[in-house]
Amino acid sequence: MSEQAESIIRLRSVTKEFERGGERLRVLENLDLDVGRGAFEALMGPSGSGKSTLLNLMAGLDRPSGGSIEIDRKRIDQMSEGELAAWRANNVGFVFQSYNLLPVLTAVENVELPLLLTPVASSERRKRAETALRVVGLQDRMQHYPRQLSGGQEQRVSIARAIVTDPILIVADEPTGDLDRKSADEILTLLETLNRTMGKTIVMVTHDPAAAERASMTRHLDKGRLKGEEAPNREPAWEAKT
Amino acid sequence: MTFTSLAARNILRNKLRTALTICGVAVAVITFLLLRTVLSAWTSAADFAAKDRVVTRHKITFVMQLPKRYIDQVRQMPGIKTATWANWFGGKDPKHENEFFASIAVDPGTYFEVYDEMEIPQDELDAFKADKRGVIVGDAIAKKLGWQIGQELTLESGIYAAPEGGEWKFTIRGIYTTKARSVDRSSVLFHWEYLNDGLPEARRDEIGWIVSRVGDAKQTADMGVKLDKVFDDQDVQTLSQDEASFNKSFLAGFSMVLKALNLVSLVILVIMALVMGNTIAMGVRERTSEYGTMRAIGFMPKHIVFFVLGEAMVLGLLGGLAGVGLGYPFVEKVLGRWIEENLGAFFPFFRVPPEWAVVALLLSMVEGLVAAGIPAWQASRIKVTDALRRVV
Ligand SMILES: Nc1ncnc2c1ncn2[C@@H]1O[C@H](COP(=O)(O)OP(=O)(O)OP(=O)(O)O)[C@@H](O)[C@H]1O
Ligand SMILES: [Mg+2]
Repeated sequence: MSEQAESIIRLRSVTKEFERGGERLRVLENLDLDVGRGAFEALMGPSGSGKSTLLNLMAGLDRPSGGSIEIDRKRIDQMSEGELAAWRANNVGFVFQSYNLLPVLTAVENVELPLLLTPVASSERRKRAETALRVVGLQDRMQHYPRQLSGGQEQRVSIARAIVTDPILIVADEPTGDLDRKSADEILTLLETLNRTMGKTIVMVTHDPAAAERASMTRHLDKGRLKGEEAPNREPAWEAKT
Repeated sequence: MTFTSLAARNILRNKLRTALTICGVAVAVITFLLLRTVLSAWTSAADFAAKDRVVTRHKITFVMQLPKRYIDQVRQMPGIKTATWANWFGGKDPKHENEFFASIAVDPGTYFEVYDEMEIPQDELDAFKADKRGVIVGDAIAKKLGWQIGQELTLESGIYAAPEGGEWKFTIRGIYTTKARSVDRSSVLFHWEYLNDGLPEARRDEIGWIVSRVGDAKQTADMGVKLDKVFDDQDVQTLSQDEASFNKSFLAGFSMVLKALNLVSLVILVIMALVMGNTIAMGVRERTSEYGTMRAIGFMPKHIVFFVLGEAMVLGLLGGLAGVGLGYPFVEKVLGRWIEENLGAFFPFFRVPPEWAVVALLLSMVEGLVAAGIPAWQASRIKVTDALRRVV
């Protein structure tokens, strides 16, 4: 693989420990990681290997016990809870395994939710949410509530919610884990498209080798350590274009 | 969509639970209002007492009587505008054994001058004055027992035995009404002369109490002291109180009951907070992962607090509105009227004090906030990663 022009995610000697029943549990061990701008990476590994923990760290949901984390040239490991929350609102889009839509809000309102934290005006918020829903192909489901949607559709709403603030990074923890093959493929295609056409950097945790196939690179985590870097599945899409 | 509409959304989420909670709060608000109404009705006689009236009675107890000549001495006092007297008759209508009403022997010439808030048509008043056996009755008791003007009335007294070989017989000559909150609309008033003439020699010329009006209302309290001084070195000593203090000292006898009612009304507030607290806590618990999602997206702990408290406040407000909306008209149109007509001697004025309706409404909102305090704090403190882990 050629020397990457710039890494958007930069982890150095990151460790993460949890306290459980008075015992220290070391989940991530002295971990170095670089993810290039515009990459679509898959993260695989056995259950309990620390995939979600690692993803949470790079998304600013949690802070490391040691080491440094730089995202888009910003150190986030030393930010306060409040700073992190504001940083996440502006820089990260989240896609969860169980979609995590608010059941009391319609599709378009769910997508609008993150914009409440931005200075965007109310009418403009609605417009942007509608645009995001169009991007994921749900223009005719805007007023539906989550319970009126299929799992695949729910996940597409959640992807619209993740991109509506135009974040630099999208993290997805097993986004296809609850979906059947066909819906899973649709979601993966969507993520791929977002990566290719919009240049979004995506890190996706998955158990599904078929899903990992769609990413530009797959990394393997085992017992808190990254195994030797895998060859890219293909050229990173964004870089290939530039 | 705004922060506020987002907070409001959750109210309608579990409609049954919300409805039950609103009912619970409404019941608590109604009970609270009733208690406050009883308390204020009880004390309203004191609150609305005339400022210029002084009641003079036996120093030891109001059961004991004063010599009739005291009335003349009172009338001679400088500063006294007018004075009247009355005896408690303790009468009952044998046809309505279980009806309680006040029956009082009064001086027809002066009683309605002193109690000028009682309204009687002039011709009825004249007819009453002209007939020694005439009575004037309150409109509430007249309506209730179907009494008509011109009708004969026989009363039995627990205090005064009937005149020898006869009965206490009266003719209804008039019906009084009143707009004053302190006046009972169920009293029966008749000529003191008739009572006095029917008594054995030894019991004659004794009066129950004297009520006088003072020319200058600011002098009312002083006048009481002056009057008592006049009678200090006579055979029977007196205790004079302005009407407001008189009513208050009467109420003092019920102070334990009043305290108990006050306490119960506070307990109701606690129950209301618990009802709401329970609902809010359940809702917050169910939504842990949603709050986790929102925190991940970038919402701050203060936003979560806002959502939980906002929901609680709306819940309290809805419960309060339901309670006041049902309770107020019920007391005003149904219960209050019934009580005024049937229990007027105790509660001449039984209406929800509007200020307490407002207080109840505000309290239900504030209580919602208080009840939601701990759940809100807990929801805001939860670690995002922990909240998200619960989903899977
Ligand atoms: N908040 C926490 N407190 C204590 N232990 C934790 C916490 N979060 C994670 N762990 C532990 O850290 C280890 C890694 O957890 P993590 O969720 O990152 O695994 P994972 O690779 O995502 O697994 P899975 O594939 O099952 O999702 C596990 O042993 C887990 O029990
Ligand atoms: Mg995981």
